[in-house]
Amino acid sequence: MRRKTTSKTTYTLPIGPIHPAFKEPVMFEFEIDGEKIVDVDVSLGQVHRGIEWAGMQRNPIQILYLAERICGICSFSHPIAFARAVENAANIEVPERAEYLRVIHGELERIASHILWAGVAAHEIGFDSVLYLTWRMREKVLDLTEYLTGNRVTKAMITIGGVRRDITKDNIPKIRETLEYYKKNFEKLRHVFLDDKTIKLRSKNCGILTFEDALKLCAVGPTARASGVKKDVRVDQAYAAYGDLDIKHITPDILTGEINGDVYDRIVVRLLEVKQSIDLIEQCIDKMPSGDIVSEPKIPKLLSAIKKNAGEGIGRHEAPRGEVIHYVKLDGENEKPYTWKARAPTYNNILPWIPMLKGEQIADIPIVAASTDPCISCTNRVLIINKKHRKIMSREQLHRLSVEKTRRLMKTHHIIGGGTI
Amino acid sequence: MEENSRLKPEEIVAYFKEEFKAKVKESRIERRVAGVNKNEYVNIWIKIDKSIFKKAVKHLCSLQFPHLAVVSGNDLGKNIELIYHFSLYYGERLGEISLNLSVEIPKSNPTIETICDIIPGALTTEREKQEMLGVKISGIPDSRRLFLPDDFPEGIYPWRKDETGPQKMVRNLNEVRK
Amino acid sequence: MAKGLSRSFKKALWVYHINSGSCNGCDIEIIAALTPRYDVERFGIKLVGSPRHADVLLITGPVTRQMEDKVKRVYEQIPDPKAVICVGNCGNTGGVFYESYNLVGPIDNIIPVDIHVVGCPPRPEAIIDAVAKAWVKLETMEEK
Repeated sequence: MRRKTTSKTTYTLPIGPIHPAFKEPVMFEFEIDGEKIVDVDVSLGQVHRGIEWAGMQRNPIQILYLAERICGICSFSHPIAFARAVENAANIEVPERAEYLRVIHGELERIASHILWAGVAAHEIGFDSVLYLTWRMREKVLDLTEYLTGNRVTKAMITIGGVRRDITKDNIPKIRETLEYYKKNFEKLRHVFLDDKTIKLRSKNCGILTFEDALKLCAVGPTARASGVKKDVRVDQAYAAYGDLDIKHITPDILTGEINGDVYDRIVVRLLEVKQSIDLIEQCIDKMPSGDIVSEPKIPKLLSAIKKNAGEGIGRHEAPRGEVIHYVKLDGENEKPYTWKARAPTYNNILPWIPMLKGEQIADIPIVAASTDPCISCTNRVLIINKKHRKIMSREQLHRLSVEKTRRLMKTHHIIGGGTI
Repeated sequence: MEENSRLKPEEIVAYFKEEFKAKVKESRIERRVAGVNKNEYVNIWIKIDKSIFKKAVKHLCSLQFPHLAVVSGNDLGKNIELIYHFSLYYGERLGEISLNLSVEIPKSNPTIETICDIIPGALTTEREKQEMLGVKISGIPDSRRLFLPDDFPEGIYPWRKDETGPQKMVRNLNEVRK
Repeated sequence: MAKGLSRSFKKALWVYHINSGSCNGCDIEIIAALTPRYDVERFGIKLVGSPRHADVLLITGPVTRQMEDKVKRVYEQIPDPKAVICVGNCGNTGGVFYESYNLVGPIDNIIPVDIHVVGCPPRPEAIIDAVAKAWVKLETMEEK
C-alpha cells in the first residue's frame, strides 16, 4: 500500500551483499523522510520458476526431488510436508521407526540453518569474524549429515511411506560425538551473541513486531514466537514422533524474562531452538523403536497404490523458518497429482516486514530484514522514495552504512576492540 | 486470544451447521494417529456455498482468531474451487485442529469477496490467486501482480487446465538450439 | 591448484556472484568455500560487492524472465578480461527445472560461459577448482 506524494524522489538500495540466506530477489520501495522510513512497499517474484505447474506434470516420486530444490536451506522440510500430504490423501501408513528418523534429520537441518543465520546476522551488523566462526562450527553438523545421508545440502532421504536410509548402531557414536561438540560450544555461541554490548545496542528496540500485528498478519516461525505468539506445528499437532517427545514453545521470556518482539528477541529464540534441537535428537536416539523404515519399498507398487486412491490431503511441518504446508489432490485415475500447492514459510512473513520497518533508519534495514531469516535473495533492488532527490546506491554502500553505524555506536559507548571478539 | 471452552471437532461442525443450515454442503472429519503413543490429530473439511462465505469466516473468528495458512485452488472444469486452510487452537500442546473451508465459484463469473478486512494477513495469498487462477477478488486493497512478471501476457493463468493455461509459454530448457 | 598457474600470481582474483533464480543450494556452497574450512581467501580470491571491480563472474540458477536483462547488464559492466563460471546444474542445462513457463533457458543462451561446474549442488572443492581453472585462463588471455 503506497501513498502518493507530490514530489517523489527515489533511492535504490539493495539489501544484503552476499546473501545465500536469501532465495529470491526482492524489491522494496521505501518512502523516507531524512533518515527515517515512513512507508514500505514490497514486490516479489523475480525467482518464480513455475514449480507447481511443473509438479502437476510429474509423478510423486519425481516431485520429491523437485520439492527439495524449492529452497536449498529448508531442503528437508518441503519433501517431508509433501510426503505427508500424499500419505494423507492416499491413506498410506508410515512405520514408527521412520517417523523417528524423520525427526532426527529435521532437527539436524534446523541446527545447520540457525547457525547459518547467526553468521549472516553477525555479518550484517559488521562482525565478519563471527561469520567465519559460526560457519566453521556449522561444518561439524554438515559432516554428520554427509556421514548419514551422503550429501551436505540436498539429502534425498524422504520417500512416500517412510525414509530411504536407516541409522544403524555403528552410526550412533558419531551422532553423540557431534551433539557433545555442540553442547560444549553452545555456551560460546550464546556468550558471543547475547552478552555483547554492541549487538544489544544495534538490536534491542529495533524492528519491533507487536503481538497483535504478528497475530493479524499470520506470521509464522521464530518471527511470531519472538513476539509472543505461540505457534509451532511440532508442539501443537502430533505428527511424526513429536507427540512422544518432551517439547514446548520457545519464547524469549524463557531466557530474558520479557517479550519485546525486536531483533534481539529473535536472536534469543533461534539460539534457544538450537539447544532444544540437540535435546530432541538425544531423546529420539534413546527412544527409537525398531522395525521397517518404509511401508512399501517397491516403487511401482507404491505408484499404483497412489494411482488408485482418490482424495486430498494437507501436510504441515515446522521448518527452521516457520510452518510449511503442502496441499495435494489425487484424482484416482493418474498417478500425477491433480493439484499441488506448496507454501514456504517466508510467504507469510513478508507482510510483517511493513510494520517492522516503519520508523526505522536506513542503516537498520539489513539487520531487520535479515532477522526474519527470509528465504529470499535480494541480489537486486530496494527502492527508496525520499522527498529530496534521486540517488542510486549499491549493495556495498548499504552494507557499509550498517557497519558504520555499528562503529559509531561502539565509539560513543566506549567499547574498545570490537566487543567480545 | 484466551479460549474458555475448546470445542470438539463434531461441535465445530455443528456450530457451522446451526448458523448456516443448508448452505453448508458437505463436511467430513478425518482423524489420524502418529508415533508410538498414537496421539491423534484432526482435519476438518467443510464445503460451503459462496453466498455465505464471508459470514462464515466472521463466524469462525468469533470462536478464536484463526491462523490462515494459505489458499489453494483447483480447476474443476466448469468451476474453480478455492480451499482456505485455517487452523484453530494453536498454542496448546497437541490441541490444534486444521479446518479447511472450500468454496466453489463458476468460471463464468469468478468473483469472491476479500477477507483482508478481517484477516489482514490474507493479502499475499489473495493476490496470488488472482494471477494464477484468474479469480477476481472484490474489495482487495492491492491488486497488482505478485509473482508473475509484468510483461507476462494477460489472460493466461498458469494453474488452469483449460485453454487459458500456460501451454504456449512453456519452454524446454534441454532443447538444443541450432 | 590447477596446472599452468605461474609461480608468482600477478594479481588476486576478485569474484562477483549473482543469483539468477536458483534455490540457494549452490550459493551456500560458494560461501562455504570462503569459510575457514576450505578457505579460498588464502589464495587472494575474494568476493566483491560491485561488478566493476570483478574479474570473474559466478552465476547460479536457471534464468527467470525477470532476471534476464539484469544478468546481461551485469555481464556488460564487468571489465575485460573476464571469465564466467556457471555453478550448478540449473544453469548448465536446466536441471530439475527443465520445463517451465517462466524460465528463459540455461545461461549459455544469455551470456557466453567459460567454465561449467557440475553438481546439484557442487561441493566447495569443485567450485575452488573451477575458479583456479578460470585463473589459468585469464592469465593465458593476458599474455596474448
